Amino acid sequence: MMYAIMYGLTIGAILYLISIGLSLTFGTMRVVNFAHTITYTVGAYILIASVRALGIPFWWGGLLAVLVAALAGYCIERLVIRRLYGESLDYTFIATYAVFLIGVDIVKWIWGVYPKPISDPIGRVADLGLMVFPIYRILVIFLALLVFFGLELFIKKTMVGKIIVAALDYKEGVRCLGIGVEKYFAIAFVVGSLLAALGGVLYAPITAVHPYMGLHVLLLCFAVVLTGGMGNLRGTFSAAFVLGMLISIVGRYWPAGSEIVVFMAMAAVLFLRPIDI
Amino acid sequence: MLKVVDVDVSYGHARVLHGVSLELETGKMLFVVGRNGAGKTTLLKTIVGLLKPLKGSIYFDGGEISGLPPEGLYHVGIRYVNQDKKVFSNLNVRENIEIAAFSSGEPLPQALEKVLAIYPKMKEFLNLKAGQLSGGQRQILLIGQALVGDPKLLLVDEPTQGLAAVVINEVARILQHLKGKVSAIIVEQNLPLVSRLADQVVVLKEGKVVRVLSSAAEIGNTALLEKSL
Repeated sequence: MMYAIMYGLTIGAILYLISIGLSLTFGTMRVVNFAHTITYTVGAYILIASVRALGIPFWWGGLLAVLVAALAGYCIERLVIRRLYGESLDYTFIATYAVFLIGVDIVKWIWGVYPKPISDPIGRVADLGLMVFPIYRILVIFLALLVFFGLELFIKKTMVGKIIVAALDYKEGVRCLGIGVEKYFAIAFVVGSLLAALGGVLYAPITAVHPYMGLHVLLLCFAVVLTGGMGNLRGTFSAAFVLGMLISIVGRYWPAGSEIVVFMAMAAVLFLRPIDI
Repeated sequence: MLKVVDVDVSYGHARVLHGVSLELETGKMLFVVGRNGAGKTTLLKTIVGLLKPLKGSIYFDGGEISGLPPEGLYHVGIRYVNQDKKVFSNLNVRENIEIAAFSSGEPLPQALEKVLAIYPKMKEFLNLKAGQLSGGQRQILLIGQALVGDPKLLLVDEPTQGLAAVVINEVARILQHLKGKVSAIIVEQNLPLVSRLADQVVVLKEGKVVRVLSSAAEIGNTALLEKSL
């Protein structure tokens, strides 16, 4: 059981890192971004390419992957997302899903379709008394917490953060105060892409890296964002860890149902607290 | 200062404003009155750039501004106070003012001073989430926020709507304080208040200007105002 809890925290940490961008993108731009997890996939692949082909150490490869994915996120925002502001959700679904499919095909074209494994860069376990647990996974949980507090600090202490929070609440109000929101949306988008890529980098040694890894995690991230509240960063944090825990604990007793419960939980939350999109 | 010439505005296929024209002189307070659905809010949103006119022109300080976005109009001195009393509810009161100070380039202490000058009690709420303010306090915060920087024209939409009588008096006092210091177009349904403060009244009906009252005698006559609606 203790192992399931720790594993749940790991899954929650990864889900949190990937979901923030989705939450921010919808909260500020009202764009449902199916392309979001392509940066997660790209992050994982660049890491593997850096470590395997270029011989770069894992953490430097991870840094490179995050930067490349952030650049990819910036390009997606400038070329596609920015044209979707104010458009109906249908357009945003179609356009961002197209970007996702194109991204997956590019990944397949470059790296092929077969899963690529990568080793845990630490390769040691910690003795937690009742069990032993990989130090790497503890580090993943710790990094997610660090991102959470860092993001809280960024939102509270910087003008960019305050403007993003204001725009999440009332975009027209920000515009009427003479502030072009698009620049800040782009920053939110790139931060979201960067964190999704970090999620991909950190998850790569835990899962199989394959071209469609983003599609699977995308559905879970939508569940996280809808459960936590779109644009609600603290809600996203709580929902990611609660749902991660559900996946892990239910998976221990009923493996086939581990992800079903996520969507059941999401449906229950939406039933109790409907959202207006 | 501001001239609206023959402006038409529509939401999709529904035309809301039909050939609306009005003119505001510097330092004056123009009130727009009319029944619900007359197009008053649409008119303000069009002037501030949130809506684009189908036809017609809007001039501000001699230059045409029709169709320009609100981001740009803020920096020429046009401020909009929304009808719904929507503040940035997840930021505290100080941060709400700070954003306006950041955008206008005015130092924060000076911006805070301006807001506190119109409502000293706001000092107690500076660290409170703006979403926790009462409707009246939010309205005052929005007016204060609009005064940050160098406003030339205030567009205020229904400042007393939904407020208790005592708060209406407070908002009226603030508007009275601003009279002559800044030009303003105010949408308002409280006719006694309109009579007290207006330099000019424009009556809108079904998207058209049906009457313009400019003399003090006409404006002071609330019965006449009521009849004009």
